[in-house]
Amino acid sequence: MSLLELDDVNAYYGESHILRGVTMNVEEGEICALLGRNGAGKTTTLRSIAGATPPNVRSGTVSFKGEDVTGKPAEDVSAGGISLVPEERRVFPNLTVAENLHLAEVVNNKSNTWGRSLTFEHEGMSTEDVYAQFPRLDERRDQQAGTLSGGEQQMLAIARALKQNTDLLLLDEPYEGLAPKIIEDVEDAVQRISEDGTTILLVEQNAAAAIKLADRAYVVDQGQIVFDGTAEELREDEATRERYLGV
Amino acid sequence: MSIVSELAVILLNGLQQGAIYVLLAVGLSIILGTLKFVNFAHGALYLVGTYAGLFIALDVTLSSGKLQEWGYGEFGLGWGFLAALILVPLFVFAVGLLMERFLARSFYDRPDTDQILVTFGLAIVVQELFRVLFGSNSLPFTQPEYILSVIPVSGPMQLPIVGSFPRWRLWVIAITAVLVGIVYLLVEHTDFGLVVRAGTRDAEMVRLLGIKISRPYLVVFGIGAALAGVAGVVGGPLNVVNPTVGMNILVPAFLTVVIGGVGTITGAVVGGLIIGLTQATLIGLPSVTIASFTLNFSPWSQVGLYAIAAIILLVRPQGIFGNEEVAP
Repeated sequence: MSLLELDDVNAYYGESHILRGVTMNVEEGEICALLGRNGAGKTTTLRSIAGATPPNVRSGTVSFKGEDVTGKPAEDVSAGGISLVPEERRVFPNLTVAENLHLAEVVNNKSNTWGRSLTFEHEGMSTEDVYAQFPRLDERRDQQAGTLSGGEQQMLAIARALKQNTDLLLLDEPYEGLAPKIIEDVEDAVQRISEDGTTILLVEQNAAAAIKLADRAYVVDQGQIVFDGTAEELREDEATRERYLGV
Repeated sequence: MSIVSELAVILLNGLQQGAIYVLLAVGLSIILGTLKFVNFAHGALYLVGTYAGLFIALDVTLSSGKLQEWGYGEFGLGWGFLAALILVPLFVFAVGLLMERFLARSFYDRPDTDQILVTFGLAIVVQELFRVLFGSNSLPFTQPEYILSVIPVSGPMQLPIVGSFPRWRLWVIAITAVLVGIVYLLVEHTDFGLVVRAGTRDAEMVRLLGIKISRPYLVVFGIGAALAGVAGVVGGPLNVVNPTVGMNILVPAFLTVVIGGVGTITGAVVGGLIIGLTQATLIGLPSVTIASFTLNFSPWSQVGLYAIAAIILLVRPQGIFGNEEVAP
């Protein structure tokens, strides 16, 4: 059994059929890349896994740790151990850095857990550990997140994900719009999270950067999986890369 | 009376009138800002608060309405004002919870117009229900004389500079300040408030973090309702009590929210004070006679509200403390 299994998932935005029978697996402990052009269905796949709506999954199943989580509300999927770091960072600009990070801990409060089951295995990092990893955030604890630079906001989004109780981390275009130096920092962070035992599903348009970290890769095009193999295989499969990734 | 003391009286009257709007606007604004729910039934909660307060605090004799026809014209518990001040918010809080759970929640994802239609409809239903039961005649809500038999709350009070000022109005200002202070601390300095503030910006991201946001939403609605209930209790003795009070207060309350900016407590406070002061100034200014033409300001007090709102919104469409991204 794989940690995450998508079986013939069909997802819609309104009446537009975006995912057309996506089937894929993510194994425990690996870094899996999901690649494809803009509009291919990468973000839709991640949102379908995380329980975010739209899209609406009309048929097919998403199972996590063997349990069917299709159509579960986002907060319950998250409580089960799946964390999505959405594109465009989505930090709370009106909260300080410290508050943004603390919010990831509020999940454990009695008022939130009462009557619900939290079934994650990997507990989130402590605030001090997170600050140790990202000294730059430490310096800006009391600064409003909206005033941070793009790179710092991306770091905050990743740092927040580190603080979540995560068994499977879904990263949506973490390198987008970042300077090369910052991309390296983010890569380091992703690698550390992976080494701590968290499984990662990484969505990128920047295929080269993603393949560098990934163990395996899927390529999606027009809502269908068109390639499935190891990162090594994708690197050698020039035809696929040229046709679907333009590299 | 000197000019200074006249101005001071206008200022205090403005603060007091503003305080009622602040109580209503804080709830309205956080509900609109956080839940993106346009609640035209907020005035109905004020109405419920006023009648519930009257019923708990005093013995009332109805002069019209079905209850009187059915022989229940004498009603009221007569437990005193403090009891009303404590019980009404709890009661209206519960009403708010029911309203969120069974009405508002299913409209969060619907367009504003749907929300307005359903809540405006509810407001009319509540108003007419009260009219049928308690009659259209205004009921006397006598100001309490003492709280706990020892603290005087009615009659005039001598203040430096101001001179004599109705004690009850000062209490209204004080009660409002304390309650708004509590809500402010709750929103700015607790985990509950953190979730609410985050949810104001990006509710989906809050849910993606594993937080069941429907719980704080429910509480936000309850708190907003409770504040409207308190406004009804403390405002009751200052205005007439009849079934139209809810609708009458709705418009200034919404003006307060848009002036101050949606979703901010500070905005609701400042907006309420601006509205209150504008009203009190126009009512309190002496008439001016130029040649044979006498200009009397007080009939302009309602128009003044819209004028000041229009000016502020021309300069800052998102309201004074509003954020452009959440402005509707």
